[in-house]
Amino acid sequence: MSGGAAILQSRRLGRLALKGAAGFSLAYILLPLFFVVWLSFFAQEIPSFPPEGYSVKWFQAVPGNTRFVQGFILSLQVAVVATIIGLAIGVPAAVCLVRKQFAGREILNSLLLLPLVVPGIVLGIALYIFHVEAEIRTEWQIIGSMGGLIAGHVLIVIPWTVRLVTASLVGMDRSVEEAAMSLGADRLTTFRRITVPAILPGVVAAALFGFISSFGNLEMSLFLVGPGRTTLPIAILQYLEWKIDPTIAAVSVLQILFIGGAMLLTDRFVKISRVV
Amino acid sequence: MATAAALHVSNDDNRSSIWSASMLIGPATVFVLVGLVVPLLILLRYSLNRFEPRRMMVEAVSAENYIRFFSDPFYTNIFWTTLRVAALCTVVCLIMAMPLAYVLARTQTRFKNLLIMIVVLPLFVGNAVRAAGWMTLFGAKGFLNVSLIQIGVIDQPMEIMYTEQAVIFGIIAVNLPYMVLTLQSVIEGVNRNVEEAAFSLGAGPFTMFRRVLMPLALPGILAGTIFTFILGMNAYATPVLLGGPKFKMMGPLVFGQFQLNNWPFGAAIAFILMTATLLLTATANILVQRRYRR
Repeated sequence: MSGGAAILQSRRLGRLALKGAAGFSLAYILLPLFFVVWLSFFAQEIPSFPPEGYSVKWFQAVPGNTRFVQGFILSLQVAVVATIIGLAIGVPAAVCLVRKQFAGREILNSLLLLPLVVPGIVLGIALYIFHVEAEIRTEWQIIGSMGGLIAGHVLIVIPWTVRLVTASLVGMDRSVEEAAMSLGADRLTTFRRITVPAILPGVVAAALFGFISSFGNLEMSLFLVGPGRTTLPIAILQYLEWKIDPTIAAVSVLQILFIGGAMLLTDRFVKISRVV
Repeated sequence: MATAAALHVSNDDNRSSIWSASMLIGPATVFVLVGLVVPLLILLRYSLNRFEPRRMMVEAVSAENYIRFFSDPFYTNIFWTTLRVAALCTVVCLIMAMPLAYVLARTQTRFKNLLIMIVVLPLFVGNAVRAAGWMTLFGAKGFLNVSLIQIGVIDQPMEIMYTEQAVIFGIIAVNLPYMVLTLQSVIEGVNRNVEEAAFSLGAGPFTMFRRVLMPLALPGILAGTIFTFILGMNAYATPVLLGGPKFKMMGPLVFGQFQLNNWPFGAAIAFILMTATLLLTATANILVQRRYRR
């Protein structure tokens, strides 16, 4: 009996050690965010500890900072347009990948997921060189243009769309559609009442994940922005290369809140724990 | 509505099926081919060109950019630094991620979704913002130095910022969530009863992990390790912000060449980075599979 008790004892200890280690890792992930939030409330400008006092003045100053406001607006515009285009071509592709049997389906699937695998820096320089070549050939203004930036971001949205919409379609039972049709619904009604509700969570998740990863993209965008056109992540990076102070911390906190809000919104449509 | 019609043609004749399939998948395929595959091919072509300071770029087919990279210790050192940092961060991430991934995978409470969102949030917030947090912590008057001086461990602030250590701390935090999420999803796929069986046969937690859970979760462990390693090799914002101008890794090096307008050399470095990453991950893949094939 005492052997069994010893095993139980060791399992209990093991579980405690496991939870401790898990908590440590979680804390480590959150640590940098915690310090950004802390710094954003400092009263003094220099990030020295302990703080001389606390203040919200840095947050009040953010709306007057044109650099960050313009960066935010540009990031928002690019992300919205890229998400719409990415969904418009990505959702049909995902439907096709799940519903059709054809040669080369696996290859096409890998191709459409490729933009997530190619490193951001490599993607950026490849797109820049591509824009140079295209501009020489067509004589259109492409380098550093809004169109070029958006096209790059569409590349990021497509793999998210394909991944999330295929996942939601694979789980769907096709016989439900057949049942609806055998009960007299025509194709359009079946599509509207059965198929759309079934893939909607996947589409919403794709829209938000695509939006968030476009909004936060840094490495690729570095190569695609033009003079006087800076996205928010690049504006944050360039500021931090120069100095760290509560102003940039406040901007970062607002970005964390914005992204966190988008994630909570996504979670209402599809449980994040199921799609990431 | 094109989708509506296309969804139900699978029983129709073959030709219309192929037509509707290509209508559905065609635009995305063309977009990725033209927008990604073609640029990568042009990049490869550029890497064989020559750079002359006056005329920028001269058409050529030469390996001199690659030779220059591997014959100059300045560049090979950067290459080895990148490799070392990426490998170290990957190992630490694997060790740190395992317990958290296990707890997340086996938790059944309503907090599970919240916990996963806490892990995902930093991923989407961006590397620059997280680097800002580390800068606050590591600075000469940062939290860590001030705290250590106050409790009397050190009397002079340590130089943590702009060192390799700072970059390693930063990259671990950046890559850890990816590893946790990958491992969590594979562990969820392993039947809990298998673990219970191992325990009831007298295995301790470590034996159970080594002999039961790890072999079963190996494909996912490998996937997570490879992904984390790729991310480490290609890190940009973290080495720039925490390593400062003197500390160099491959990612910032590519961007630096681009800023100098030396596209051929930048293209060659980008290709070396991508090829090295792919080769190393493929090798790791083969080695691990051979080791565990029984």
